[in-house]
Order: sequence, then C-alpha cells, then structure tokens
Amino acid sequence: MNDLDKLIHQTRVYLAVIIAAENLLLIGWLLLGWFLQLSAFIIIPGAAAIVLGGCLIITIAGAHHVLGPIKTVWQAVLHISPTNHEVAAPELDKIRYGRELLVNLIGQIYQLNNVATGQSMAQQAERADLKNEFVAANLPLPLVVLDAQENVVFMNTVASKYLHKSPEELVGKSIYSALDMSFPNENTFDKWLAEAKANTVIDYNSWERVRFGLADQTSLQFDLSAYYNKDNSNGYETMIVLFDHTAQYGQDDQAVSFIALAVHELRTPLTLLRGYIETFQDEFAGKLDPELDGFMHRMDAAGQQLADFVSNILHVARVEDDQLMLELHEEDVSEVVSAALKNYEVRAKVRGMTILPTIAPDLPSAAIDRVSFYEILGNLLDNAIKYSGDSTQIKVNCTMSPEGMIQIDVEDSGVGIPTNVVPNLFTKFYRNHRTRNMIGGTGLGLYLCKALVSAHGGHIWVRSEEGKGSTFSFTIQPYSQLAEELKSSNNKDITRGAHGWIKNHSLYRQ
Amino acid sequence: MTPTTKKVLCIEDELFISEMYARALQRSGYEVSIELDGAAGLKAAQTNQFDIILLDLMIPSMTGVEVLGHLRNPAETPELKAKIIITTNLEQREDTRSDIEKQADGYVVKAELTPRELVAFLDKLN
Repeated sequence: MNDLDKLIHQTRVYLAVIIAAENLLLIGWLLLGWFLQLSAFIIIPGAAAIVLGGCLIITIAGAHHVLGPIKTVWQAVLHISPTNHEVAAPELDKIRYGRELLVNLIGQIYQLNNVATGQSMAQQAERADLKNEFVAANLPLPLVVLDAQENVVFMNTVASKYLHKSPEELVGKSIYSALDMSFPNENTFDKWLAEAKANTVIDYNSWERVRFGLADQTSLQFDLSAYYNKDNSNGYETMIVLFDHTAQYGQDDQAVSFIALAVHELRTPLTLLRGYIETFQDEFAGKLDPELDGFMHRMDAAGQQLADFVSNILHVARVEDDQLMLELHEEDVSEVVSAALKNYEVRAKVRGMTILPTIAPDLPSAAIDRVSFYEILGNLLDNAIKYSGDSTQIKVNCTMSPEGMIQIDVEDSGVGIPTNVVPNLFTKFYRNHRTRNMIGGTGLGLYLCKALVSAHGGHIWVRSEEGKGSTFSFTIQPYSQLAEELKSSNNKDITRGAHGWIKNHSLYRQ
Repeated sequence: MTPTTKKVLCIEDELFISEMYARALQRSGYEVSIELDGAAGLKAAQTNQFDIILLDLMIPSMTGVEVLGHLRNPAETPELKAKIIITTNLEQREDTRSDIEKQADGYVVKAELTPRELVAFLDKLN
C-alpha cells in the first residue's frame, strides 16, 4: 500500500467518524462529508493533501460540533430532573431515557473513533493513551471508562474534578475499590454489569441517588448512566457518565434531618406524659367517677396518637435517610392483625367507633416486620377514624388476593376522597386542601405506608367515593414466597430497606 | 425483703423519668435505686448487688456507652449477675445499635415504652 492509498484510506475513515456521529445531529454534515470523500477518490494526489488538511480541521471542529450537542443534552437531562416536591410530576421515564441515550451516544462515538484510529500503525501506539484522543479530551461531562476486568482505564478531567481524585490515583484499579458507591436498592451497578456480561453484547442502564463517598467522609450524590459493549476491540468495555445531583438531593436530606432533630426533642416530654397518664390509670383504677375516668381515657388515646405521630415522622426521616431496615419474619396474620387492632381500640372507642375485623380462615403465614406492620395498619386506621364523618364503623378484612398475596382492607363509611386527589394521596406532605383545615395531619402517613408496604413486597391502593367512604387495601407476601430468597441467602429472616442503602459490591453479597 | 425481690439500678439523669419508672417497678415488687450520672452509676453497678441495670445512653459525666464498656471489661469489673438494659430515646443507626446490643442484654426506646410495658419487659427477663 503506497502512501497515497494510506492517506486516502485514512481520510475516508476520519470522514466516516464525523459522518456517523454527526448523522445523529445534523444531516447537512452528511452531504459535505460525502462530497469530500468523493473528491478523495477521483482527484489527483495533490488534492488528496488538501482533503487531508480539510479533514483535520473537520476533526477538530467535529469534536466541538459532536460533543457540543452532547453537553447540551447532558445539561438538559440535569435540568429537567425533579428538583422538589411541589412541581408537577416529572416524566421520569423520559429523563431516564435521555440519560441512557446520552451514554449510548458516547459509546458509539468511541466505537467509531476506535475504528478510525485502529487503521493507523502510528496511532495504534498512541491509542493506549486515551487522553490524546479528541473525544475523551473534549468531553465536557464526567466520564469513567472500564476494561473487561472492571478496572478503571480512563477518567476524564471533569470526572476527576468531581470526585476529587486524580486519574493516576484511580486508573488501573478495580472500579469497586476506586470508587465508594452506594445504591438505593439491590439493583447495583455490579449486578447489572454481571448480567450484561453474561447475557448481552450491548446494554445500558441508569441509576438514581447513587452515593459516592469521598476521602474526607463527605459524599456526593449522582445519577449514573452506563453503557456496556462487549465487542469493543480497544478494551474500553464499559462507560459511566455521572449526573451530579448533590445539591438537590442534599437539600432533601437536610430538611429531613431537621425534622428528625425537632421531633426527637418531643420524645422525652411525650414519654413522661404517657407514662404519668398510665400511672394515674393504674393507681386510680376504679376510684374515679366515670366522667373523670372517661377523661383519662381520652388523654390516654390522645397521648397514644401523638406518640404514633412522632414515630411516624421519625420513620419517614429514616426512610428518607435510607436507614429504615425491616426484618421479615414468619408471622400468623390473624394474630398480628388482632394485636395491631388492640392498640386502636381505645382510640376508636373514645370517638364512639368500633372496629370490626373479619379474617379469612386458613390464611398462610406471612412475611412481616411487626413494628412496621403495626405502623401500616395503624396509619390506615388512624385515617379511617379521622375521616369517619358520621359513621361509626370501620371494617378490617384479611383475605387471599387473586394474585396469591395476603390482602388487608381497611374500609370506612366516612367522608371519602375526591377523585382528583387520589393520585397524590401517597405522596409526601400531600394533604387534601379541602379537609386540611378541619382535620389534623402531616401528610406523611400514607407516604410511609407505601414505603413500608413496598418493603414487605406488596402494593397499596385505595378505592373511594366522596360522601360514601374509602377502602384502603394493601398486600403482603405469604412467607412461602420468600422461601427461595431464604434458601439462597442461607438465612432465617430477610432484611430489607424501605429503600435502604445497599453497598455496591462486597457488602451486598454477604 | 423476700429473696425473690429483684433489685433494679436505674441510671438516668431525667428525674421525672426515673421516678416514673421506679414507681411502676416498686408497685410490681421491684426494689429500685436511682443514679443520676454515669460515674455514680458505674460505681453503684460495680457493687454487683443488682439484678437489673437500666442504663440511659445520654447521661452526664460519662456516656452510657462508656459505662457499658467499663462494666463489660473484665479487667475493671468482675462478671456481673445483672442484666443490662439500655434505655434511650436516641435513634441509633442500625449498626451502632447492634454493636450495643452485643454488649447489653436488651435495648428499649423509651418513647415506645410506657411504665406498664417496662414492667412487663423486665418480668420476662430471667
């Protein structure tokens, strides 16, 4: 192959890179590219030199043109991500799609770039040093690249700024020892990567609220997107792009910590109030006239309600901080439900209401975390009592659902819920504005219920008609459904987070 | 005092709380001593005359965790016959909590426990 052929060949390859990349963004580039390629074929050697010069310019300009739009997409994804609780529901699927598209796009560019540089012997030596390649050097978003052994082979300047680590510190190390990542659920990066390696050639995925621990004990919170390509001949098998959300997620954390702290201060006086009310009841039992005795019961019921409310808030704080862990044990449903209802008898009685439980015979045992289960049922009963209107009865039914789950319904004939507010019911701090001035509450109860029911592996939903009453239903897993999980973990009980942090690699597997 | 009377040491700086628990426990036949800070509590506990020690974590002069450390250190304290129950309103991270649980015989959150429930809890201890 003579020099001219080589030049022409290389020109074509470079053009192919530009064309393919730009194709995604700008059709005009395509025409220009083909024109140049055509000229390389038919015109004399002198023209080839001009074409090569042109290509260099295009390569440099291309880096900007190709990567510029990518940066825009990246910023757009960051921008449209949800920022607080009051805005309209964000289109999470589209955001996720945007993130995955982006990392996919970067992967493609690498691929093409690789094909191009792979043709030249001189550049083959150079390509080991990814930093010299225009894509990597010009990429304005944090990027980490792994080889087939899951070692870091490259991180760009932006990533090293974010993570406060120089590339030299991380390159060559396993991703899991290089970066301290914690994921909000068991869908961790390493799990995805292992599955991708086993089953696919190309795959991509994204994660939210991933914590990166830094050397100084602080942590950053990113959304993460990764692209896997088995056949990438240069060995850059996996690419990770980071979306920094530290400020936004951190704000949520602070609000929660403040609430937790404030609520914490309520606990000691509350312990005292409840304790002394009980002391009165114990020591004056039968000695008070019925009216005073009734007052005592009301105080007791109110104290209980306040204590539940306080623990609700603390638990929400723990859910938010990903500290709430559930331990699912094998429990007899009817026994647990009866025990939970007992706590509410006094409160219902004080309001002149009765709770009627109906428990289907022969229910299988269920996987239950007792304290959390009390909390779920308690919150639903509390709502049923609060929104009872003129009705005097609450029905609690336990049955087997058609899907083979254990279903618990809490049915009241109270004021009901307007159709338009139902979709927001399970959202944090949501309160129906029509009733919120008349009925006390924090808007945390149902949010907490949802988190706790999910951690039990079930669902929660509501059917309601305004003026006629509401039925809240939730499901929990029969214990037998967990048998497989238990076998594999070689453990008698299961620990689950409401969305508890699970350490990326080794810890989760223990 | 009958030989079955159990002696309880309550290390708790909130006087209202210790008195409230003491009252309920005494009504149920326990004998109760109260210490208001960590150092005094440790000294009393080391006399080994108690069957149950209720130990608050947030106490002056020495934290409950430190007291627990001294009580479980064989070089400082011969093995106690007492069961040590941690009482606190402090919400621990799960890992800290399980650390404490390894050293203590029980752990209760005060806000979740009325005097009646505390008595029931202690009655179940052997």
